Amino acid sequence: MADQGLEGSQPVDVQKHPSGIVPTLQNIVSTVNLDCKLDLKTIALQARNAEYNPKRFAAVIMRIREPKTTALIFASGKMVCTGAKSEQQSKLAARKYARIIQKLGFPAKFKDFKIQNIVGSCDVKFPIRLEGLAYSHGAFSSYEPELFPGLIYRMKQPKIVLLIFVSGKIVLTGAKVRDETYTAFENIYPVLTEFRKNQQWYGLGFINLTFSVICVYRCNINNFHHSVYLFLCH
Amino acid sequence: MATFELYRRSTIGMCLTETLDEMVQNGTLSPELAIQVLVQFDKSMTEALETQVKSKVSIKGHLHTYRFCDNVWTFILQNALFKNEDSQETVGRVKIVACDSKLLTQ
Repeated sequence: MADQGLEGSQPVDVQKHPSGIVPTLQNIVSTVNLDCKLDLKTIALQARNAEYNPKRFAAVIMRIREPKTTALIFASGKMVCTGAKSEQQSKLAARKYARIIQKLGFPAKFKDFKIQNIVGSCDVKFPIRLEGLAYSHGAFSSYEPELFPGLIYRMKQPKIVLLIFVSGKIVLTGAKVRDETYTAFENIYPVLTEFRKNQQWYGLGFINLTFSVICVYRCNINNFHHSVYLFLCH
Repeated sequence: MATFELYRRSTIGMCLTETLDEMVQNGTLSPELAIQVLVQFDKSMTEALETQVKSKVSIKGHLHTYRFCDNVWTFILQNALFKNEDSQETVGRVKIVACDSKLLTQ
């Protein structure tokens, strides 16, 4: 994955990221006001890569390839831009959409651009005991494995929602600035290490099995058919 | 039943339109009858494609542009590979216009 490559090539600022792990930004949602009324049908007919189905949704859905994003464009002139991987890319994409609207003849402006949500993810590379974590952090946690396999952790400061999975994969959402994502991860990391799943038992089981197979093989090395028979019985 | 006028732009549709034009101009056909023939052509094309054409073609290419407006999908593909049971061919640039036939029966 891209985040691993990035971590490898750039040294991690340990002051800012004591865990040594930097969450990768996966999605940025931003809004902007183009400050003019729009005729969505004209836009859908003239612009490329646009969808407009007013029976389903009252906005034009438009996509561009660079930065790879999707925009929802409303008749009021408000626009939502999703899918960018960084704040700058989100703003650049929003500007490109505004330019497309301008080129179609609307007096589009670029008012009140705002990042509304930042989603990040990372991998702590060890399994986690979600039940234990949910029990000791009951006030913040919601863990219903029959509904969703991840633990939902609603952190209060910063106000970030984390999805924590048994595998050690973490999703952080709800940030308005990326530092909230980073702080939330550094806050949760010691908790994750505390509830690291102990896998020794599985390891031992595997070693035992391997050992017995080798025994069977060695005992019967002179009689192949016999060894296969024993192996199957075992 | 309402029909799409989509197939009038096909080779066979264009030929029919030209012939009807010619016949209207030299007075062998009334304009009303010519229009009736075209409407029948729309119906017959829709019906024939629905009931008599069994072959399937797959089209695969780079999606350069798409659009969905007024319940019509438009796709522009680049380097599209057309494939049917026994042959295949690459086409540099293809425009696909697709309508939902379910909308006609509603």
